[in-house]
Amino acid sequence: MGLVVTNLVKRFGSKVAVDHLSLQMEEPGVFGLIGTNGAGKTTSIRMILGIMSADEGSSAWNGTPISRDTLSFGYMPEERGIYMKNKVLEQLVYFGMLRGMNRSDARKSALSYLERLGMSEYKDTLVEKLSKGNQQKIQLIATLVHNPELIFLDEPFSGLDPVNTEVLRGLLGELIEEKRYIVMSSHQMGTVEEYCKDILILHHGQTKLQGNLRKIKQGYGHTNLVVSCDVNIDETAAGLGLTVIEKRAGETEYRIQGDDMANALLSHMVSQGFYPTKFEIREPSLSEIFIEKVGEAS
Amino acid sequence: MKQIWTVFVFTLKDAARKKAFKISTFILLLVIFAACLIVNLTSSGGESAEGAAGATTAGTGAETASGAAEEEAGQDITLEGVCYYIDEDAAIPGGMEALQAALPTYQVKQGDAAQLGAYRSEIAENGEVSLVLVQQTQGSPAVTVVTKDVLSGVNNSDVSDALNQQYIVNQLEAQGVTGDVAATLNFEIPVAVEIAGEMDLSGYVLGIVIVMLMFFAIYYYGYGVSMSIATEKTSRVMETLVVSAKPSRILIGKCLAMGALGLLQMAGVMLFAALCYHFLIPDNFTLMGMPLSLSSFTLTRAVIILAYFILGYALYAVMNAVCGASVSKIEDINSAMMPVVLIAMISFYLGYFTAISGSGTDSLLQQIAIYVPFCSPFIVPFKILNGDVATMDLILSLAALVVAIVLITALSIRIYTASVLHYGSRIKLKDMFKLRA
Repeated sequence: MGLVVTNLVKRFGSKVAVDHLSLQMEEPGVFGLIGTNGAGKTTSIRMILGIMSADEGSSAWNGTPISRDTLSFGYMPEERGIYMKNKVLEQLVYFGMLRGMNRSDARKSALSYLERLGMSEYKDTLVEKLSKGNQQKIQLIATLVHNPELIFLDEPFSGLDPVNTEVLRGLLGELIEEKRYIVMSSHQMGTVEEYCKDILILHHGQTKLQGNLRKIKQGYGHTNLVVSCDVNIDETAAGLGLTVIEKRAGETEYRIQGDDMANALLSHMVSQGFYPTKFEIREPSLSEIFIEKVGEAS
Repeated sequence: MKQIWTVFVFTLKDAARKKAFKISTFILLLVIFAACLIVNLTSSGGESAEGAAGATTAGTGAETASGAAEEEAGQDITLEGVCYYIDEDAAIPGGMEALQAALPTYQVKQGDAAQLGAYRSEIAENGEVSLVLVQQTQGSPAVTVVTKDVLSGVNNSDVSDALNQQYIVNQLEAQGVTGDVAATLNFEIPVAVEIAGEMDLSGYVLGIVIVMLMFFAIYYYGYGVSMSIATEKTSRVMETLVVSAKPSRILIGKCLAMGALGLLQMAGVMLFAALCYHFLIPDNFTLMGMPLSLSSFTLTRAVIILAYFILGYALYAVMNAVCGASVSKIEDINSAMMPVVLIAMISFYLGYFTAISGSGTDSLLQQIAIYVPFCSPFIVPFKILNGDVATMDLILSLAALVVAIVLITALSIRIYTASVLHYGSRIKLKDMFKLRA
């Protein structure tokens, strides 16, 4: 049955922070919860996990209402929170024990994750002496140390350099292979697109879009054309009704209305002897869909 | 329970490692050691000071009178000083003899009115010298007593009583009343006060020390709870903690840990104090002439005092926890704690002053202080050590304290749970009650 959230509502005074949020996650994988700052993502996660009581609605895991006592979940908050003046291993063991592990198991698990993330050498180092990226990794281990079934990651990649991003990607891949249920909140649409099968866009507490990402994108059809060519074809494209979305180094992205428009441009180019080095017809990106949905609402 | 224990152990170890804890413990031990050392040095020095005083007295020529007085009384009388007596007009015949009888520890000497200035200069320098000057004014005598300050020299009342009596006797005799009749008329029925028990200052001194320690501990460790929670909240550790454990368990674990740390520190300090007392304080040490003993500190009383420490600390700790949870910035902690600090200060002064000023009485204010939970930890230990708390009062006081702790803890947990994840401006007291987690 997985995770089932039904009509969660949270009000702060007259303001509705989350308005009838519902979602389902029936299979292991990654679910993307996206929204602008203040959209209600953190409040939603807190309500789902039972950290904050909901004014209405419920959340259940395999049919059982979720609370700290009924489910071993992991939550990495957007605002990182670990003890700066304590040693790495000491506090990881503490967090593990708080989640019901005995000292020995917590230590074993913490050491294992430190090894996987290349942090073993820092186990006896004060957290304040670590780089921001390494602190981020410690925060992630604190989330995973008790091997939770359901994991909530709020902006897991923020603040990481490319090397550490790659390390984290590797770990995320392992978690997916281990059939964990992961709810990821992120502003990095590329990351969400890469990992999430299903998404939910929140804006001002309201659900603006929800469903399988592939199907959502298919529903939009082919709306974008990316062309890379040695010759400037903007005038030709404009003549055929294409509009420029973005100009990047060596390529231009156009808005099209159906494949016919793209095919017409290609025919025109070939007839004039302009051969593209890249000609890609594709669906809109998640970022564009997000901006469209949030823009509509604003 | 396991989570409370986990929070307890982690918080205890963390707090014990902090520099502030180590430094405060060291300072406390140092102060105790220094105080005992000073007592040790001054006690041995005091004996030689007494010897010096004796030599000074001998130098003034008082040794003869002293010897005479001692012989007369047939017992040892330590001479306190010299009192010059001047009555040029013979306003009170026999006054000097009466004065000497009333002041057996002083050598009363006939003074010379011409030396008045010299006497005054000598008195201004030496507290052991006094002057009684009798002058005839408008037909009746007037007496002036000159001493260095109000605390030294002869006692005004003693001088007044002695000279008044002598004057009346003189007047009666002048009216033809025989000396025997005059003496009879002037006879004062002797009233003796007999103290059945031993006068023991230890309970009083220990009571004050315990009340002071109680306030220090409740304030200091309560502040520790508040700081610990505020630090966890402002550093966002709380975000990680609350997904692992219920806020109520975090709060209880933290309060217990800080309380245990306080008890451990106090126990260590008291053990060190006992060792210093044993090795540094002389056996014959007295305070204001009273020997100090720990006889008032029985096991039962110690247990009750310990209970008041634990309960008093618990009451203030849960309130301080709420203060810590109400701030989003660590610099707001002092203003957030102000209401609790005010309650603690008012309660402490009410308890302390009613204890030391009204010991043994049942004034309304004292009764209130004993029953009011915020105040009772600051008065009951004192009264227990001085043995003037009725058992029923004690039971009611403890019951009121326990009930208050249960109610305030329940309320604090509710507010703490709601406010611990609230960020932004500091939550006002009235808004805390409206928050819902």
